[in-house]
Amino acid sequence: MATTTATVGITSADLTPGMSLGISATTTLYQTGTTTGLELVDIGAGKLTQASGADALHEALGTADTTNWVYICNNSTNVEQYMKIGIHETIIGNLGSGEWLWMPWNMGDGDAEINIEAEASGEIPYEYAIFKSTYTLPAKT
Amino acid sequence: MATLTPTLSLTSTDITSDLLSFSVTDSLSVTAPHIGLAKTSVSTTGANNIIQPATDGQTYYVYVKHTGTSDGSTVVTTTLNIELTGDVVIGKLAAGEFMWMPVGGHSLGVQLQASSGTIIAEYAYFTKA
Repeated sequence: MATTTATVGITSADLTPGMSLGISATTTLYQTGTTTGLELVDIGAGKLTQASGADALHEALGTADTTNWVYICNNSTNVEQYMKIGIHETIIGNLGSGEWLWMPWNMGDGDAEINIEAEASGEIPYEYAIFKSTYTLPAKT
Repeated sequence: MATLTPTLSLTSTDITSDLLSFSVTDSLSVTAPHIGLAKTSVSTTGANNIIQPATDGQTYYVYVKHTGTSDGSTVVTTTLNIELTGDVVIGKLAAGEFMWMPVGGHSLGVQLQASSGTIIAEYAYFTKA
């Protein structure tokens, strides 16, 4: 089994007067339960344009309640450019230039694709990683 | 206005034959309101566990961790739902797992819901300046 470790740190020296902030957490990426690690991963990068509308970063996995993790980073340096992040029809939030997210993606039924959409003109470079419990390649057409 | 530095590291020696080891960081300008780090007992009614309020169009950075206990010491393995207000499930955390993501650009907040019983969750949110 593969062992993949995710660690987050969130720090601030000036959020609260007289008290710095230091949040830290580490977890191993498991399939359901705590014995088998996630074995499948897609890591890539692309460019997104407003003209393309909302694009599926990954199609739905077809099985709900599986454990999957998504990392996305907006690599644009233009502060006017952001990416809308959603699951099917639900908009979760906006990822600004330079920002990244780390989120669980368990709603892998037929209507739960991860989608991304560029706002503001020009190309938005992005990178992503998706760690998956299961995946079946689409059939040829 | 304050500066927040979130960092994510992903490592694995065996998920592929090529070593996975990368780290990403950012510098965010944030303002009030914010919750630096809090702990709450989450029940099975999401509407009773709203951790981030909704302000139309505002973006928040949200951190949530499932502590793996029901009362600070009793181990639980039930999942913790991450939901937008209105009971819209966007993800689930197992014991020990965490998430960090921007939420907003709409009028919905964030709420937590235990799949059964109670779960102690840690959370923080910060308002994008």
